[in-house]
Amino acid sequence: MHRAAHVPRLALAALVVVALAVVAVVASVAPAAGNTTAAEGTLVVDTSFVVQTIDPARMFEPTSQIAVKGMYDTLVTFRGQSTTPLPWIARSWKVSKDAKTFTFTLRRDVKFSDGTPLTSADVLFSYNRVINLKGSPSFLLAGVKVSAPSKYTVVLRSSTPNPALLRIVPNPSLGIVNSKVVKENGGTDAVGGDKTDKAEPYLLGHSAGSGPYVLKSYNNKTEIVLEANPGFWGPKPTFQTVVIRNLPAATQLLNVQRGTNEIALDLSAQQAATLRGKSNLKVITNASANLFNIDINTDPKISPVAANPHIQTAIRYALDYPAFVKLSGPGAVQAPGMIPTTFIGHLPPSAKIKRNLQKAKAEVRASGISSPKITMYYPAELTINGISFATLAQKTKSNLAEVGIQVDLIGKPVNSFLETYHAGKHPMSQSYWGPDYPDPNDYLVFTPGGLAANRVNWAASKDPKLAALAKKAQRTVSDAQRAALFRQIGRMMNQRAPFFPLFQPAQAIVSSGNLTNAVLGVIWPLDVRAVGTK
Amino acid sequence: MSSAPIAIPEEAAVRRRRAKGLLSQPLAVVGLVIAVGWLLVASFAPLIAPYDPLAQDFALTQAPSSEHLFGTDELGRDVLSRVIYGSRLSLPLAILLVALATALGSLLGAMAGYFRSWVDPVVMRTTDLVFAFPAIILAMVVTASLGPNIRNAVLAIVIVAWPSYARVVRGLVLSIGDTEFVHASRLLGSSSRRTLLHDVLPNLAGPVVVLATLDLANAILLLAGLSFLGLGAQPPDPEWGSMVAVGTQYFQYWWMGTFPGLAIFSAVLAFNFLGDSLRDRLDPRGVSRSKHQGVA
Amino acid sequence: MVLAIGITFVAFVLTQLVPGDPALSALGPVTSADPEAVAAYHEHWGMDKPLPVQYGTYLWNLVQGDLGVSQLSHQPVLDDLRHAIPATMELAFLSITFAIAVGVPLGVIAAMRQNRASDHALRVVSLAGISMPTFWLALLALYIFFFRLDWFPGGGRLDPGTTPPTEVTGLYTIDAVLHGQFSLAWDALHHLILPALVLAAFNVSLITRYTRSAILEVIHDDYVRAARAKGLPERTVVIRHVLRAALPSVVTVIGLVFANVLTGAVLVENIFAWPGIGQYAYQASLELDLPAIMGVSLFVAVVYVTVNFVVDVLYGVIDPRLRLT
Repeated sequence: MHRAAHVPRLALAALVVVALAVVAVVASVAPAAGNTTAAEGTLVVDTSFVVQTIDPARMFEPTSQIAVKGMYDTLVTFRGQSTTPLPWIARSWKVSKDAKTFTFTLRRDVKFSDGTPLTSADVLFSYNRVINLKGSPSFLLAGVKVSAPSKYTVVLRSSTPNPALLRIVPNPSLGIVNSKVVKENGGTDAVGGDKTDKAEPYLLGHSAGSGPYVLKSYNNKTEIVLEANPGFWGPKPTFQTVVIRNLPAATQLLNVQRGTNEIALDLSAQQAATLRGKSNLKVITNASANLFNIDINTDPKISPVAANPHIQTAIRYALDYPAFVKLSGPGAVQAPGMIPTTFIGHLPPSAKIKRNLQKAKAEVRASGISSPKITMYYPAELTINGISFATLAQKTKSNLAEVGIQVDLIGKPVNSFLETYHAGKHPMSQSYWGPDYPDPNDYLVFTPGGLAANRVNWAASKDPKLAALAKKAQRTVSDAQRAALFRQIGRMMNQRAPFFPLFQPAQAIVSSGNLTNAVLGVIWPLDVRAVGTK
Repeated sequence: MSSAPIAIPEEAAVRRRRAKGLLSQPLAVVGLVIAVGWLLVASFAPLIAPYDPLAQDFALTQAPSSEHLFGTDELGRDVLSRVIYGSRLSLPLAILLVALATALGSLLGAMAGYFRSWVDPVVMRTTDLVFAFPAIILAMVVTASLGPNIRNAVLAIVIVAWPSYARVVRGLVLSIGDTEFVHASRLLGSSSRRTLLHDVLPNLAGPVVVLATLDLANAILLLAGLSFLGLGAQPPDPEWGSMVAVGTQYFQYWWMGTFPGLAIFSAVLAFNFLGDSLRDRLDPRGVSRSKHQGVA
Repeated sequence: MVLAIGITFVAFVLTQLVPGDPALSALGPVTSADPEAVAAYHEHWGMDKPLPVQYGTYLWNLVQGDLGVSQLSHQPVLDDLRHAIPATMELAFLSITFAIAVGVPLGVIAAMRQNRASDHALRVVSLAGISMPTFWLALLALYIFFFRLDWFPGGGRLDPGTTPPTEVTGLYTIDAVLHGQFSLAWDALHHLILPALVLAAFNVSLITRYTRSAILEVIHDDYVRAARAKGLPERTVVIRHVLRAALPSVVTVIGLVFANVLTGAVLVENIFAWPGIGQYAYQASLELDLPAIMGVSLFVAVVYVTVNFVVDVLYGVIDPRLRLT
């Protein structure tokens, strides 16, 4: 056997060669690796993808909004963090006194990427397509009739007063598509479009808009690549190419520190805080209009404990609001009410609920229920603004344990969570609301009989006074009167509504230090057309 | 069957050799020490853990210090206490599910091998079906459909794990069934139950024990893998895999993911050391070698 | 075929057990409250039909080569798979190559030095290798080799915005070489190395152990002794005779390794943002995307059958004893 000794040497030699080869290969590239992350003129946006489609009339997801916002123009737009509607394709508009009729006058110099001029017919087609496809964004135009009396005039008529409409129109889902191209590729704006429109496959491979970017490639798992539209009618964007790339948050944290011209969208404010002070990075934390809250069911048949008003009050005062704010990281604020602090009609900070354990315990005793127990559902796997619902649910459980309320947690995948939540079957839920449009009317869903209120079985009949006030607020046109009404509603809600507003997080955007205007939009996560360099 | 029938030596001698052999192997001793160590930790967790694993009492995300040897997590809980309590989930559940899989698989395998007729093809085709899926993909679909929680994760892993026992046991039953001494005992008038109990089963024990020990390692990995994907243990339960998952969201706080990962590694390693050493002793023919099928 | 029907059936039944309605998350919070919109969604995806009809339709389409449309991506499952499969295959091939290139020599070393220190050390190392949770290893690798050392990119198949090579095989490295785009091929390879190494770790250990025991089984056989007695150099004896005889067992384990790589892919692809079949399967099962789940299951079953078949064929080719019979 003594000769066997040669063999391992041979094998060892082979191994060493393999190892050396790997090291050599690695060493030869190592210096290059840093530069290759982003080519000149390419903006890289890292985000964990929430994309179902990029057909404007069908999409309503954050990642899609980034792409669609770059490729399609809207009548009206917002700039940066402002919620003031600004002219865009519409150079001016008139609103009737009753807030039912909106007349837009369009610019005449707008061309689609194929050179076709944009006219009112395209707006009419795009809006009716949204309405008739019955997709996620169709509710934006509920009760609205669209007409195009002349080549450059568009009129929207709402069946009820709709003071929010000007703030709805900037939504990227209402981006204007090239009606000729979309029709040629199977699109229709006719009634029944949910069955007959076949344009989606085309729109997943090509864009048909007038924006500064056109679609180069689309993959809903890896990346969406946009390229500058050479014939763009407006000011040229800074970057020739925009890559929206799918990366989990943990990898974003590592990547943005390595990249150039790179933006990470999904870092929590806590994660972003650890990057502050790095000279090559810019960390911007903007107040987010997302509202994190807890819902509790008012139907005793679902849970007599949850529906007990004393228990509800006990929970309201048992929650450790400052601790929730701390969990969500620097820049977060306690939500004073259900309307986010960036919109008109929100409550002042003084209206915030303060934790009061004595009072909470007294309310538990007053309920007459010994050792109360409630099941709380939360969407497992869901992370918004870098905050995981699992983390929040654990905090809630631990808070309520302090006043003797036992919470059993059930995490469900988003789909099945929503199913039982919409059906009003959750005794309690860790929940959240992101604005569909920056207007307090979007928050009427929480008033008795509203969409979200129905999910906790809070019908109009359970609080007629509040329901009547809500109806009045919806029909009011003047912003000053609306603000006063919404504040009155807010104060009442803070006393007795089955919703406990917790906090508004800070949205952190971390970008390479040379980038400008990488800020959170009001509706969309990021406006790539605005991003520039120093 | 072309393979040689198993030699059946005198039992006492075998036992002596087994006992002596195992303890003379350093690997087995190391494995045993770690495994027993973890079992002790699991049994006495409340006495060992410095803090309540659920108490959110401390400053968030502190680095390891003398107060908190493994640091604190994103909710201000003590990571060391959570790792310690984590053993109370991973170990008993792994043992439970391996026991279930062993029982189910052995029973079905023995039936298939012994009764043959229609039982055999049905059981074997079912094992084919299960083997056609990588373990984690099947387990993933099962837990996603039944609802993600630790009970369903255990169930899913049992569904994934039983076929290897069925195959091994069936093979052994078939080969033992053909040996002369079983024929002899049948000729002597033993009932088929008696034959099964007295002659066939004892010869199955070795390979099955080896398989089960190695499977404990696999079970811990798979359970941790499912929890890592969010399909196993649910918060606030301290489970190692889900702790690593949270740790990945907080890259810069390395201690949140590193220590639970080390816990998984050491527990799995212990059972692999043990199983591998056992195999040398109990299953020299390597019947159980088909193990190490895909795990996390 | 029976296997295929069995698998679609199992997948179908499982996904029907699920309480969730995909329409709800697909339509968003406001629109999903509108029963008409939900009904339109159900009708569009064929969910309003009775279950046996849904299953029958699926099978009928399947026979015609149509796997349905993914609810998640709004694209034909076949298209999704066509993109995801080559991504995973490229990863799998490189990873298995690594595993063989390292595992077989290590197994030879261990066998030739049976019961000596290096054998024991290799045993410990390889047991450690199979005990390491892949997801944990992936994170450590990413942290060290991407973040700390910056030797490798941090995820994806190519640098962002890079146009993939024109598709021939779908394997970026090979396609790029076929088109003479060598820097692109390098880019693709560079992205492959780290995830492939992580996936290989488990399998290196596995192959080492199998090779070792396969060699030990033949090393004392007569023809090996005869070869030695003829005075052939030890290297020749090992390569020509020992390794050759051990090859069938090694081939068998490579079938196993293939299954392991697919499993590992679920965890590794997630961490490395690798758009392969593992990530697809994970997202599909989280979101209960039925056509996608069935598509993945079928693919996996096909792989299983193919790998087994290939292993059997290779067996016949390389095992002289089997060829005789």
